[in-house]
Amino acid sequence: MITRTWRILPGPLPVRIVEAIALALIVLVLLHFFYDWLGNTILDQGGTVG
Amino acid sequence: MTDTMATAEAGPATEVAVGGRGLRIIHNLGWAFIYLGVLTLGFVVHQLYITSWFAQQNQPVLAQERIEQWGDTEITEVAVVPTADDPDDSGIVSGATGGEADIVAPEPLILKVESPPDDGVAFALIRIPKLDRLAEGWNVVEGVGTQNLKNGAGHMPDTALPGQPGNAVISGHRTTYGEPFRELDALDPGDRIEVETALGTHVYIVRETRVVSPTDVWVAEPRDGAWLTLTTCHPLLSARQRFVVFAELNFGPNADVIEAMT
Repeated sequence: MITRTWRILPGPLPVRIVEAIALALIVLVLLHFFYDWLGNTILDQGGTVG
Repeated sequence: MTDTMATAEAGPATEVAVGGRGLRIIHNLGWAFIYLGVLTLGFVVHQLYITSWFAQQNQPVLAQERIEQWGDTEITEVAVVPTADDPDDSGIVSGATGGEADIVAPEPLILKVESPPDDGVAFALIRIPKLDRLAEGWNVVEGVGTQNLKNGAGHMPDTALPGQPGNAVISGHRTTYGEPFRELDALDPGDRIEVETALGTHVYIVRETRVVSPTDVWVAEPRDGAWLTLTTCHPLLSARQRFVVFAELNFGPNADVIEAMT
């Protein structure tokens, strides 16, 4: 999947590197929010009652 | 003869086609499991290490905020009248004239009350000498919302402030966000909990620990005297239940006054 994504990135090599880094950062930020939500839901709700 | 040959030639070709499709499915399934494994590993690393790292990094900032909050806190003195359970404290003394007893109001005691902090503001430091993680203290913010508790521990609004009459409830994470209450189940009756606020240091003694359901809101209800209730998730790595510690005020700026009130 990573190789396929790299192949479809437009532009010359330096541009594709920048695009790949930007894409990776977006994925990491989305994963952060997803993990945050999942952790607060199933793993540790902070011990609150009610 | 020709038909037989044709069938014989078609047999292996069909097997290869079926085998190729099967292999592709297995190949894709394998990659799906690899991606799932990486995502799961990422989740574990994020929850156990990254959230805690952020919470730890935020502690010095919260400590500074807490000190500023203490400077802004208004402390008022409220006169309270002690209860008359003890005849010596009843305020009724014999009349000097030998007639009817003169009723004299008991001398009021002074309760120090601090102004409530704003939501999200660090206002207290909780220290539990018995627990390694809390021996040095952990900042407590006002509020128990998801964002508040990303700092580790929060005070439940509408419950008493630490050191005040009633039931002060503090909730905290056990496996993520600095995991300040990770070792809470190691506490036994008689152990000491210290909470520092703008008023000073309030010392509580653990009276009881128990496991309850997340919906057991009675643990946060007001109580006679001054109590501190700590709540966290239970068991470790699960939000299925809550581990609760009940501690009673033993020493502090208001301890004597509150004892006389009850």
